[in-house]
Amino acid sequence: MATDTTTVAPPGRTVRAGRRPALRRDGRYAGVFLAPSLGGLALFTLFPTAMALAISLFDWPVFGERKFLGIENYSHLLHDPVFRRVVLNTALFVVLYVPLNVVVSLGLAVWLGPKIKGRQAFRVLFFIPVMTPMVANVMVWRLLFQPGGLLDAGLQSWFGVDAPNFLGSSDWAMPAIVAMSIWQGFGYNFLVFSAALDQVPQSQLESAQIDGAGVFQRFRYVTWPMITPSIFFATTMTLITSFQVFAQPFILTQGGPGVSTQTLVMFVYNQGWQFLSMGLASAAGWILFVIIMGITAIQFIGQKRWVTYDV
Amino acid sequence: MFGTPARARRWATAAVSALALAAVAACGGGNDGSSGSSGSADKADLTWQFWVGGTEDQAAWQKVADQAHADHSGITVKLQGTDWNNYWSKIGTLLASGKAPCIIGMQSLRLASYANAMLPLDDLMAKYGLKAEDFDKPIMDGLKADGKQIAIPYDSGPMVIFYNKDAFKAAGVPDPKPGWTMDEFKAAAKKLTTGGKTGLVTTPGDLGVMSWVRTQTGAEPLADGKLNFTDPKFEQGFAGYADFVRTDKIAPQVPSGNTDFETTQFVSGKAAMSLNGPWSLIDTMGKVKFNLGIAPIPAGPDGSKTYTAGSGFGISRSCKTPDAAFQAIMSMTSDKPLTTLAAAGRAYPARTAAHPAWFTAAKIPEAKEVIDYASENSIALVTSKNWVQVADLLTRFGTQALNGEIPPDQALKTIQDQAGAGS
Repeated sequence: MATDTTTVAPPGRTVRAGRRPALRRDGRYAGVFLAPSLGGLALFTLFPTAMALAISLFDWPVFGERKFLGIENYSHLLHDPVFRRVVLNTALFVVLYVPLNVVVSLGLAVWLGPKIKGRQAFRVLFFIPVMTPMVANVMVWRLLFQPGGLLDAGLQSWFGVDAPNFLGSSDWAMPAIVAMSIWQGFGYNFLVFSAALDQVPQSQLESAQIDGAGVFQRFRYVTWPMITPSIFFATTMTLITSFQVFAQPFILTQGGPGVSTQTLVMFVYNQGWQFLSMGLASAAGWILFVIIMGITAIQFIGQKRWVTYDV
Repeated sequence: MFGTPARARRWATAAVSALALAAVAACGGGNDGSSGSSGSADKADLTWQFWVGGTEDQAAWQKVADQAHADHSGITVKLQGTDWNNYWSKIGTLLASGKAPCIIGMQSLRLASYANAMLPLDDLMAKYGLKAEDFDKPIMDGLKADGKQIAIPYDSGPMVIFYNKDAFKAAGVPDPKPGWTMDEFKAAAKKLTTGGKTGLVTTPGDLGVMSWVRTQTGAEPLADGKLNFTDPKFEQGFAGYADFVRTDKIAPQVPSGNTDFETTQFVSGKAAMSLNGPWSLIDTMGKVKFNLGIAPIPAGPDGSKTYTAGSGFGISRSCKTPDAAFQAIMSMTSDKPLTTLAAAGRAYPARTAAHPAWFTAAKIPEAKEVIDYASENSIALVTSKNWVQVADLLTRFGTQALNGEIPPDQALKTIQDQAGAGS
């Protein structure tokens, strides 16, 4: 490609000079058309982001004197055992949730291949938890998990043993939240993977079969490379949203017991809107932003090694 | 349109700068904004920000607001309702921006956080002849900050034990009477803990924990306005409280983050006792399928001691017609609306003259004796400025302490470390 451009293209300088007025006119029109969305982006995204950075450098109570602190909020957070635990909790959620979500949704998408009867019905069924309001989902799971709840009662009547106090035990609360989140969230990636799998040409799979490739080989060497863009999309989006997890722990455990299920966004919310300490909330928000940006950047760099676009 | 690219860049820079400046100016607005009212002492259209639970609730409280117009034809009060969970962040932003409505609903436990943005009412009380002695003393004290009256109460109540009379009878446990001791309470609770049911249910909420600690050791959460959770007496009282779940096992393990747990366990008959406020009594009576009784908190070595909490109405500092707002609040907390609220079972009235209506509605013969006894033995729970954070931490680490995951004194130390400095 690169050689083509250099050899075929006429001398750049003359061409650019000739097309310049037209380009400039296009640029102006583009600017006019882009202005509303750029204005919105500036007002509702860029400005609050910059403002949050400014606030994070202050002791900024909702009432009372504001005081410039420099990076003190950041150093306070980094030395605060609770905040460190909160970062760790968020990382634990991501590490448990993202791979499990991808495995479950991809597994089910593959299982519901084209030959399964009632495929559409299953698709709808799996997508229902995504569409149901999160609060309703969480309330139902709370009834399952709490002492004397369905799981506890079931274990007692069948085996005569008490279930663990899922939402009250530091060891069980996070796995309980992850389990609930996977049930709630896998439907979206499942649809993405289903659509990607439908795009894999049947003829290629058949020719691989004729060449003697088994089920696993067909998946590994034909299907997998073709769906890697979808897997990349799904993992990136799931990773970002799982770093921002809020509703599940907020309603299921309120971050407890202790701080064993408190996540970064919950921490930001509590500091800002419950304890009215905007400076610390903004600093924590920026730390989260930097973490997400960093990991997304790593993913984009890493994709060159395993994502295949040219098939 | 913008000429050269350089000029376009300058335009863009200028536009973004102007936008940023305008926004900073908007954010940093002073306290001279609108007060949500206009008019004079006898003529004003006022707005009242309050927590409501739904349309029925909104209608009932609007009737309370209408009392102001009935008493003063020139004054109208319009209710702006918000649900409890969003209420506090909403008034926080409103008060901070100087755009708060004149009349603000205020709860005694949260008062310290917001008191700076509220108008002290002592002068207005003297001017319009509102007598503090017409109200329950503990809640009048509870709505003070630095000795100044910040809000006038409409409801109040000391924490008392709600119990399942049928369960007591079935277990052969006599009904508790005022003056019953901690030992009697534990013996009763142990007898009632059988067959998957427990004698007590508790979650580490601020009012409950503080009341249990106070009755057992007399310790209080603050010393000189500062958090004092690592005081040995407080630690001892809290350990005794945590033992209900940890070692005595008279109460079930606590789930995390389920604020309804106490109510649902008690109402469903799975737990025979629960510490609660009289404001919940009539609502709870409507939900239970057994005979409901109430008793004072059991007496520790120095007798039965509990805390009172309640809510009232105050005036924002930015209100331009404080006189009219105060007259409206006087009407809203007068005998008539409080009696109506009491008869409907919405609130145990803060005004003593309205108590009989509530006792009639409560239909529990011993209610008056118990509540009067508890009230005498209660004081207002005075809180620190960062109490919301303290209560949040108490729920978190208290749950771990109750469930035996961490020692109770470690829970208290963590809370003190996290919130002590900000109190």
